[in-house]
Amino acid sequence: MAGTETYTLNMGPQHPSTHGVLRVQLELDGENILSAKPIMGYLHRGIEKLLESRTYVQGVPYTDRLDYVSSMNNNFGFCRAVEELAGIEVPERAEYIRVIVAELNRIASHLVFIGSLAIDLGASTGMLYTFRDREEILDLFNLVCGARMTFHYIRVGGVNRDVQPEFIEKTYKFLEHVPVFMEEYKKILLGNEIFMSRLKGISKMSKETALSHNMTGPNIRATGIPYDIRKVDGYSVYPRFDFNVVTGKNGDNWDRFNVRYNEIFESAKIVRQALDGLPEGPFMAKVPKVLRPPKGEVFSRTEGTRGELGFYIVSDGSTKPYRVHIRRPSFVNMQGLNDMCRGYLIGDSVAAFSAIDPLMGEVDC
Amino acid sequence: MENLTVGAAAEWIRSVILLILGNELLTDVVMKFVGLGACIGVILTAAIVLTYAERKVCAFMQVRLGPNRVGGRFGLLQPIADMLKLMSKEDIIPDGCDRIVWALSPMLLFVPSALIYGLFPFDEGVVFADVNVGVFLLLAISSQSVLPFLMGGYASNSKYAFIGGMRTVAQMLSYEAPMVFSLLGVVMITGSMRMTDIVAAQAENVWFVLLQPIAFIIFIISATAETNRTPFDLVEDESEIVAGPFAEYSGMRWALFFLAEYANLLSISILTTTFFLGGWHGPFLPGVFWFWMKVLFMVFVFMWFRWTFPRTRIDQMLSFSWKVLLPLALVNMMFTGIGVYVWRSMM
Amino acid sequence: MFGKGLITGMRVTLKHFFGKKETFCYPEEKLPMPERFRGGHLVIDYKKCIACQLCSMACPNQAIELKVVTDAQRKRHLTSYIHHMGRCMFCDLCIENCAIHGLHWDQNYEISAYTRDAFDYEVLTDDDRQYLKEVMEAAAANPAPPIVPKKPAAPKPAEAPKPEPKKPEENKETEVKPNE
Repeated sequence: MAGTETYTLNMGPQHPSTHGVLRVQLELDGENILSAKPIMGYLHRGIEKLLESRTYVQGVPYTDRLDYVSSMNNNFGFCRAVEELAGIEVPERAEYIRVIVAELNRIASHLVFIGSLAIDLGASTGMLYTFRDREEILDLFNLVCGARMTFHYIRVGGVNRDVQPEFIEKTYKFLEHVPVFMEEYKKILLGNEIFMSRLKGISKMSKETALSHNMTGPNIRATGIPYDIRKVDGYSVYPRFDFNVVTGKNGDNWDRFNVRYNEIFESAKIVRQALDGLPEGPFMAKVPKVLRPPKGEVFSRTEGTRGELGFYIVSDGSTKPYRVHIRRPSFVNMQGLNDMCRGYLIGDSVAAFSAIDPLMGEVDC
Repeated sequence: MENLTVGAAAEWIRSVILLILGNELLTDVVMKFVGLGACIGVILTAAIVLTYAERKVCAFMQVRLGPNRVGGRFGLLQPIADMLKLMSKEDIIPDGCDRIVWALSPMLLFVPSALIYGLFPFDEGVVFADVNVGVFLLLAISSQSVLPFLMGGYASNSKYAFIGGMRTVAQMLSYEAPMVFSLLGVVMITGSMRMTDIVAAQAENVWFVLLQPIAFIIFIISATAETNRTPFDLVEDESEIVAGPFAEYSGMRWALFFLAEYANLLSISILTTTFFLGGWHGPFLPGVFWFWMKVLFMVFVFMWFRWTFPRTRIDQMLSFSWKVLLPLALVNMMFTGIGVYVWRSMM
Repeated sequence: MFGKGLITGMRVTLKHFFGKKETFCYPEEKLPMPERFRGGHLVIDYKKCIACQLCSMACPNQAIELKVVTDAQRKRHLTSYIHHMGRCMFCDLCIENCAIHGLHWDQNYEISAYTRDAFDYEVLTDDDRQYLKEVMEAAAANPAPPIVPKKPAAPKPAEAPKPEPKKPEENKETEVKPNE
């Protein structure tokens, strides 16, 4: 009598759809997934330790390398933590500029999400379209800070340089363009029946499970919990802007996709309001050349594109932080992978990786 | 105009050979080889043209420029460069593979893909073997391509390849059925399984795409699945199982898979043209022009599908075949039967 | 109706099939880089440089390796300025910390190379070396008077020969000036 056996399939670290060097050990029964175990550490660079061996100001470019698709948000989080630690008051114009670039970066990151989900489901054309439109944002960043990926624009105490009138003009033009390309994605992806059937009802997760896995960001909002640090904490100048927290209902991949899709509109709304209300004034606070924050510790959290991005910094009063710990949303969200894959097919596992939207730079740190 | 047809060209070649050999029987034998060579020539040319076309179509739909380096601004020599690259690549044989089966798989896959070209009517009287059970033979041959996929998947000693091989069997077997039943409608109207008769029947009346629109759609969908192209490319599915059965092949062996894929793409386009779009028939221009125009249009449509749609999932794909396409094909066949009966009794 | 979305999607791709393409033929068409673009090789205004080594100290990765000589007039000059591009993060901190705003990028993004050695880029040009030679000779011809050993200056000689890259010397508060 021939029996059936389960078998293990190693997806990754070199695999076309694991978003870098994620390795997932799938326990399979035919095409059905029994368990999925993410194995991490292939991109570990020891960023926390690197930050501890550099001064506070020198540490900022390293945070670019955490979540390299939304570097502005990482710079923002780290600089906020250092400012809180050192008691630096950031000028209003700087806060507005920070919000503008952070939200633009959120749009860029969500576009990468849409594109990578599309290509993981086999629609490579959708990916090219999102990357085409992301290019506009990267060009804006290139204009304002001279880099397209690792920006190092938001600094301790403000931003590196003031925005040019050209940047503001071009950003307005980009905002005009947002509904146009979003409509196109709607036509080619969102309204596509195959795309829908691949995502609807797949990788369902209840509110309780999501909470117990400590998931944050779009992943928890998809389950229906309106948890957005921008609203919960109201840090920076976010309380001044009118925007909605997008939530889903069922907590399936379709909701995860839709939450991000609609967040692009909300981010665009914030950028527009911030541009309209951009005050005059300095863009950099008076920061001592050699920054020695007083002894103490701080945990500062911001809403990164992938969830709650927290920086825990302990200062011993010297020029370098004594200890830095980063709460990386991608890493924490990966805990939900097993629950999202179990009981579904191999094809769904790929969609589940994409829907969590992990970034290995941030997972391994 | 009469001299421009392929038939006239064949006649001319025949007369030349007859002049050289001076023996009728010998000439016929040689002519068979000429026909064989022509079929192989069509396949090889198709592989070159279609790889280039696919890259360009893909690029244009993705707002890119596509190949634009080798051979001028339009990259016309790109397929040659690709071919040279593939030939110069190292032939990697994976550890622990079943050597003989593994090596046989790409060659065997190419055989059914090439064999069915013998049955295609390219133009008036231009058909290598005009068999009276043409449609039946055609489907019988093309269904043989399941086995090499399974062989490659099994022999590679790789889990990805094995999953791909198993998927092929499931997919090809399920889509064979609606494809056959959709063609039966055409056969019923014509009353013959001979390919030339089917084309002739369309020339007398109308193209079968108008008489059998549902069968046409079913045929297109199952043809896409049979050729493993998006949205049904679960066999090679690069984002899930990397490349399925091809995962462990490199260089020329992989190129044979590739060749078979494009041969299949072309043959499925030719089939659509023959069964539903009136074959070589068309006004003003010689038949061969019409034939290739229709075929290339169908190729474009298949490429268009590929670069627009996401991929389905294996369970959705199979249930779509058995629960939607097959009943639809059967219903279509029933109504065709009634229609044919009514038409015949009215005549 | 099932299939409507599929047709809509096909319309979009067909539109782009005939539409304008977004990519460029790169080596022939080069995109202009904005004025703030960070990238390429470092360029130093050698005549202004006071060899203060602030750039090297500001670098988080120790990517800048300097060799400094002191001429007869006790002025410091650079003899070598090696930019280890393989370690560089292009974070701009060196340029922002330059005391004389004499450092900038040449904005050439085609800096890839075949060997790792090619990434140890010497910033100083032959003209700069010629200038250094002239200055050194001029200083030698007119040396400064020797220092009266009144103040032994215990900490200073210890720091001067071996500049530790990460330890800033001065401790007073100054405003961070963005270099524009």
